[in-house]
Amino acid sequence: MFGWKGKMLRVDLSRRNCSVEETPSDLIRDYMGGRGAGVKILFDEIDPRIDPLGPENKLIFATGPLVGTGVPAGGRYIVVSKSPLSGAIANPCCGGYFGPNLKFAGYDLLIIEGKSPEPVYLFIRNDVVEIRSADQLWGKWATETERLLRAEMSEDFDEWELNNMSIVTIGPAGENLVKFACIMSDGGRAAGRSGLGAVMGSKNLKGLAVSGTGEVKIADVDGFKKAVMDFFEEGRANETLEKRRRWGTWSLPGRANKTGTQAALNFQSGYFEPFTKFEDPDFIRDSIRVRDEACFGCPFACSKRSRIEDLAYPGTTKGPEHESMALLGSNCGIGDLDDIYRANYLCNELGMDTISAGAIISCAMELFEKGYLPEKDIGYPLSFGSNESMFQLMRKTALREDFGDLLAEGGDALAQKYGHPELFMGIKGMGMPAWHPQGIEVIGLQYATNNVGGCHTKATLPFYEGRKDPKHHVRLTKQDQDYIAVVDSSVLCWIIYHGPLWGEKLLSWLQITTGIDYTENDLSLIGERIWNLERIFNLKAGISKKDDRLPKRITDEPRVKNQVVHLDRMLPEYYKFRGWDENGIPTPEKLQQLGLEKEGAGL
Amino acid sequence: MRIKIDHLKCTGCKLCEVVCSLQHTEAVNLWRSRIRVFITEDYCLPVIGGPYTEAMCNSKDVVFVEGKEIDGCVVCRASCPAKSIFKEPDTAIPLKCDFCGDPPDPQCVAWCDADALTICD
Ligand code: SF4
Ligand code: SF4
Ligand code: SF4
Repeated sequence: MFGWKGKMLRVDLSRRNCSVEETPSDLIRDYMGGRGAGVKILFDEIDPRIDPLGPENKLIFATGPLVGTGVPAGGRYIVVSKSPLSGAIANPCCGGYFGPNLKFAGYDLLIIEGKSPEPVYLFIRNDVVEIRSADQLWGKWATETERLLRAEMSEDFDEWELNNMSIVTIGPAGENLVKFACIMSDGGRAAGRSGLGAVMGSKNLKGLAVSGTGEVKIADVDGFKKAVMDFFEEGRANETLEKRRRWGTWSLPGRANKTGTQAALNFQSGYFEPFTKFEDPDFIRDSIRVRDEACFGCPFACSKRSRIEDLAYPGTTKGPEHESMALLGSNCGIGDLDDIYRANYLCNELGMDTISAGAIISCAMELFEKGYLPEKDIGYPLSFGSNESMFQLMRKTALREDFGDLLAEGGDALAQKYGHPELFMGIKGMGMPAWHPQGIEVIGLQYATNNVGGCHTKATLPFYEGRKDPKHHVRLTKQDQDYIAVVDSSVLCWIIYHGPLWGEKLLSWLQITTGIDYTENDLSLIGERIWNLERIFNLKAGISKKDDRLPKRITDEPRVKNQVVHLDRMLPEYYKFRGWDENGIPTPEKLQQLGLEKEGAGL
Repeated sequence: MRIKIDHLKCTGCKLCEVVCSLQHTEAVNLWRSRIRVFITEDYCLPVIGGPYTEAMCNSKDVVFVEGKEIDGCVVCRASCPAKSIFKEPDTAIPLKCDFCGDPPDPQCVAWCDADALTICD
């Protein structure tokens, strides 16, 4: 088999049982792998109404046919589960080396189910799979956990194999079931949104250590080599990608701020004065960058490892990426780069999603400033820009101490408790990311209709020609959502392969690697099928039209460029274009076209 | 002619390992690559497979790279019993860089888009 390994590993933590199954061929045919295969398995095996933190929930670590092949920027993995934050489907994506290592160990997918009675970690080396005690690791921060695990295994492996091994962990936030805890891997990388760190925590699963020494086969090796050389050349000639190489996402905070589309002060504005210094992205690069850090097989190495001179924040971390800089920085009124670094560092180490943490804290700041949230509840003042209070709150949230216990429940819980649910800038319970939708209207539609909630990675960011014209909003949103579903199922890096920029590349990589003659039509059908199955999962979980909405601030209060997002106009059109009825439920014709009659029965 | 390594340019993408194994085994298998990359927080160290030694040497020591301690076996090119790399995973037959043929056409250099690997005389 080319591309895929053809096997998946299932680990039942309750029964301490591991089994290897064949990856079903119709799963590959209809859903490709990654995110698509994940949602199909989850849908078939769990009731969408279950408690996401109960033992019935499953956690699927998924790779795809392109992972580990060396396709440029094809080294990522997806985690699929039911989200404790939104109650919806969750499918965060993460880079580093874990995905390829899982493939090299021999598996397309790793399905984790049940719940261990005590803390454990999972060790996988090719066909050796062990559930090992993690008592000694419980409570440890993410990087420390990685370090301790490597030290523990140093008796069995030499430096090289330890170095090659990928370790996935949760921090204290995941252990304490913080609803936006993330899954960390390879020293600071996060499968961030949706709170799946808490799902790992609920299973008492502290981490995974995976070492693979096997191979991945490619159908057309000569064609592949040539295509990679051509890709390098195209990449060099592409200005956007050259910027990515130098600055990663660091070119964006200054640019978004300048154009007034940067989330600021809990989305009360699209501009934050202290961020003007980031208009020169070299300022960030020169201040904190240690080195460029590629994911497996990525020539662009957009991730930047960074460090500051502060003994209280030892070592290095990854980022802060643009989204983190916006939510932890401008959106919380924090403009100092070192402070943003500290906040990002704390989130990574405690194992919390930076975007969600920033969204919730900025909501608390606005509640406090408006006098709805009394200081005595927090224990200290919390106006916009209070850096020390913010760091303090982060630690407390991860440990669920004092006021942090409420924040750990998510933004909706916080804003509701203080009587102003409209002040949490979230969608389906998940805080909105950096781009202020009032600056770029189509983003508003993308956020509102996103199956996972307020997340920017499931459709293309609309920076291209023609994407600002309202005529195209609905069509482009659907097209991009379906396309990214296939990118996430292959798995390629969304950052490189988004938009018309590289669309046709996905098709040719799949053909060369797997030897299957995919057509564009095949891929769009797979993408649409995935999107619809996720929608069906959500509908059955109780998430529906009422949740396809934006915060009132975005639709009713013109804050940026004197514009609002006309969601009420776009949404019915979007439903119609998708072949859904006026309540956002896929019509029988649509279900039949996608082969989802069985899944969609009883909606 | 030889391959020059500038470790400060290396991003740890491992594309050199991918292509070296493709060149020699027609599949992607990092453990069959004649070049391996050791990743640290501050930098990455590409190491190219050199001569085979039958026994562990006595010079096992700690070396300093950019002010940081590294196990000497990590930077050593030898395929020796003390370490797992530069050996066929199944047979343990030692692997050595062949410069990708004669005349030399080093694939790893061609695939190193970060220019950490270059050819020099
Ligand atoms: S572009 Fe960045 S995130 Fe994407 S694969 Fe490359 S290094 Fe990883
Ligand atoms: S020159 Fe060829 S054999 Fe030697 S390390 Fe590079 S790719 Fe491998
Ligand atoms: S291809 Fe170049 S940058 Fe990538 S790991 Fe190898 S030496 Fe480093």
